[in-house]
Amino acid sequence: MDHETFERRLTVLLAVIGGLFVVLALRLWQIQVVQGEYFLRLSEENRLRISSVPAPRGLIKDRRGRPLTFNQPAFTVSLLPTELRNPAQVITRMAAKLGMSPSEITAKLDAAGDHPFEPVRLRRNVPKEVIAAIEEERMDLPGVLIQVEPVRQYPYGTLAAHVLGYLGEINEQELQGRRSEGYESGDLIGKNGVERTYDRFLRGRSGQIQAEVDAQGRPLRVLATVPPAAGNSLVLGIDLDVQQAAEDALGSRVGAVVAMDPRDGTIIALASHPAFDPNLFATGIGSEAWTNLLRTPLQPLLDRAIQGGYPTGSVFKIVTATAALELRLVQADSRFYCPGYYTLSDHVFHDDMAHGHLTFLSGIAESCNVVFWTLAQPVGAKNLSRYAHLYGLGQGTGIDLVQESPGVIPDPGWKGRVLKQPWYGGDTLNTAVGQGYVLATPVQVARMLAAVANGGTLVTPHLAAAIVSPGGQVLQRIAPPAAGQMDLRPQTLSVLREGLAAVVTRGTATSIQIPGLAVAGKTGTAENPRGKPHAWFAGYAPAGKPRLVVVALVENVGFGADFAAPIVQRVLQTAFHLLPGGEMHP
Amino acid sequence: VSAALAGAAPPGAASPPRFVGKIDPLLILCTVALVGTGLVMIYSSTHLSPRPYEFLRTQILHLAVGLGVAGLLLAVDYRALAKSARVLYAANLLVLAAVLVIGRTSLGAQRWILLGPLGQFQPSEMAKLVIVITLAKHFVERPGPYRSVFDLMPFLGHVALPMILIFKQPDLGTALVYGAIFLGMLYAGGARRRDLAALTVAGVACGPLLWHALKEYQRRRLLAFIHPSLDPLGSGYGIIQSKIAVGSGMVWGKGLFLGTQNVLRFVPEHHTDFIFSVIGEELGFVGGMVLLALFLLWVYRGLRIAAVARDRFGALVAVGIVSMIGFHVFVNVGMTVGIMPITGIPLPFVSYGGSALMTMLWATALLLNIAMRHQKVGIGFEVPPGTPARVIRRPGGPEPLEE
Repeated sequence: MDHETFERRLTVLLAVIGGLFVVLALRLWQIQVVQGEYFLRLSEENRLRISSVPAPRGLIKDRRGRPLTFNQPAFTVSLLPTELRNPAQVITRMAAKLGMSPSEITAKLDAAGDHPFEPVRLRRNVPKEVIAAIEEERMDLPGVLIQVEPVRQYPYGTLAAHVLGYLGEINEQELQGRRSEGYESGDLIGKNGVERTYDRFLRGRSGQIQAEVDAQGRPLRVLATVPPAAGNSLVLGIDLDVQQAAEDALGSRVGAVVAMDPRDGTIIALASHPAFDPNLFATGIGSEAWTNLLRTPLQPLLDRAIQGGYPTGSVFKIVTATAALELRLVQADSRFYCPGYYTLSDHVFHDDMAHGHLTFLSGIAESCNVVFWTLAQPVGAKNLSRYAHLYGLGQGTGIDLVQESPGVIPDPGWKGRVLKQPWYGGDTLNTAVGQGYVLATPVQVARMLAAVANGGTLVTPHLAAAIVSPGGQVLQRIAPPAAGQMDLRPQTLSVLREGLAAVVTRGTATSIQIPGLAVAGKTGTAENPRGKPHAWFAGYAPAGKPRLVVVALVENVGFGADFAAPIVQRVLQTAFHLLPGGEMHP
Repeated sequence: VSAALAGAAPPGAASPPRFVGKIDPLLILCTVALVGTGLVMIYSSTHLSPRPYEFLRTQILHLAVGLGVAGLLLAVDYRALAKSARVLYAANLLVLAAVLVIGRTSLGAQRWILLGPLGQFQPSEMAKLVIVITLAKHFVERPGPYRSVFDLMPFLGHVALPMILIFKQPDLGTALVYGAIFLGMLYAGGARRRDLAALTVAGVACGPLLWHALKEYQRRRLLAFIHPSLDPLGSGYGIIQSKIAVGSGMVWGKGLFLGTQNVLRFVPEHHTDFIFSVIGEELGFVGGMVLLALFLLWVYRGLRIAAVARDRFGALVAVGIVSMIGFHVFVNVGMTVGIMPITGIPLPFVSYGGSALMTMLWATALLLNIAMRHQKVGIGFEVPPGTPARVIRRPGGPEPLEE
């Protein structure tokens, strides 16, 4: 190519770039000169407002699709900092109307930080009359925003409150690093229960409305909308009827009930009494109600089923028996003699009664302490602790709830480390019968029973069964893998099962026999320093082919057979539909 | 225009050969004016933030470093760059690949490499300049004539490799800048018009394929460009607000530091990619026209340097740089006024951002370098590379210079 052509081409390049610049100039002419007035007005009044439309939170349903939550539209009153032309006056008047103190409102505005175009929610679920009063004075209340937002409702009140949890406004700490997931200040998020664990599935995605508004902030014309995407539903393994039965059976007593499918760890019912009403939290709980909940001595916010560590009493004999059988120290027909007491060096340990001559199996059935005290020394503290850990005691179960307690399984090392005391022979005896330092939660005990029932699999208890789209499509089935597999000898399992069945057929819990349903289980009566013993019953049914484990714990009432076993009986009857007829649960 | 471009002396005309031509004062003036405008507007768009001088100070620091290196670039004969083209090209690919591996993700894209106390560095900016240099050298090595579209394939491969790496970051805008550089240099390098058209058509036809390779946010931006209300809070919001800001500036603007839209953070990224919306709002149509005129003058001087460059390498480097700047200006300003999609391309010399500013400064230094060493005799483009047309001995200077 010669230089002349090259220069011609350079001229063309200049023309092309110049042409593109002319296009820019024309466009600038169009929007700055021709339409300039229009844009100037838009910019001066700044009449474009973007508001977020909260997504309806996904519903939580029981295993048969019965909703445990609803969403109800309600009015939310907010302030838009950028339009708050007369803050002092507006804040005082709004405080009076909403029944808040001006300092409360100021605090909320401050907390919202440096986002003047994001509305700051003052109060949710504001009654219609108050809304009407605000609308009347709208002209004098610039910066006040009224929006319709869905409010969470829990139609069954306190029922399954600890399972469901409650909502609360997201705090600064929770907001850290979650903005990218679409969380904004002022959002309600799950603070406890499955509302918290599965928040990211339930919450959906907020929509947006871009509108032109008038000087009073009322929308004149919607320019654009992005509809909110509703949250996904959460289907629980909970059966509303069984849950109801568990809570009814527990009644006004303080305690907890866990019903679980031993085959996969699905929780069918999880009750803890006393409970709280999650509706109180749905619109942001008032500080007074919150302090009340915190100060009540019975601690309704505590989920006793997963957070309460209790001495297990004789329920722990399942661990001792397993250890003794696995170490081949006993067999089903090994013979023992119970004079009603056991002597360790110069200490005498008293049993409730003298059982006389009895086999190991009867020792389980009648919960003879002397039998297990006798086995305690040969098994040893280390083995007790080892088998307890194999059963998942002393560690969280991994249930899909927060702040689970791991419980305590003592051994000489633990005592030296934590209590700075030496381990005595009596400690081994106490541990062997679930006294002393042993602490376990009802859900841990349920998992232990499940392991006996299913042949040694340490299932992971879980409340959720599936995540379902708003359209009804199953997005995800929730089936967490088992936490472990105990390698128990078949003889061990059969003796344990036989022993637990004998507890109900001829042992300590004959009172809870159910016609048509073979129940197996273990009573527990746990001495504790705070008064009467805690009553335990941990059982499963049908004994031959277990499909349900039920554990009941009642604080400070007395014998397990008297107080806990009937609760388990009632739950089993409901679950297997054995109250009136004889139809089996699917 | 053609006459002006051709320079004072037509090829072959007798004029005293001088080794060092004059430094192009107009180009320097334009650059100074543009960088100055940038500093003022960066201050204007950030002066209400908690630390008002923060961005200005950082940008001045970038400017100082950039000018220092630019001075060094002037001292070295630009033809030294041609000799190290291969090394430059390989190093460039390595750095771009490194970004993908160790780069820092910001706004969903991996574009940055952290350089300790020096802050972060965006290699794709520098890469533009490297591509210009190495591609020019490539043209010199393959002088043509290019008789079919297949003769252009080596050049396509040359550009495609770094382009893919940048596209993967993902940085659609910068990848498109490469396209503009490529087409500009190909045209000036002597490719046939129909071959250029074929390449362009093929590129456009690849569009639907690229669509699948785009990230979600990039598709949203493109869709929002076509239909802003699809994404009113996101990209569409930016477009609408930027238009309001620019439009509200009207003829004379609201006055320096008196803009409201940008200060109130209605316009996103207002000190970087959207700085023109601050200019449009505060300096109005008149200010915008002056800025465009400055850029046009810059481009004109650049092309003139291409016309008088002493060799094909220098000429094509100049064309590449001019194509890059021209495309940047059009896409960036077009984006703020809603006629181009948002692609994250900064306004040369003006936008806040060290890597971009330095790259543009060095590009200018390169142009000045080419201008300084130009021969008023012009050049014969038919001369095959590697064969010295004539050997000029500088009076008193020992080394012969090839052209």
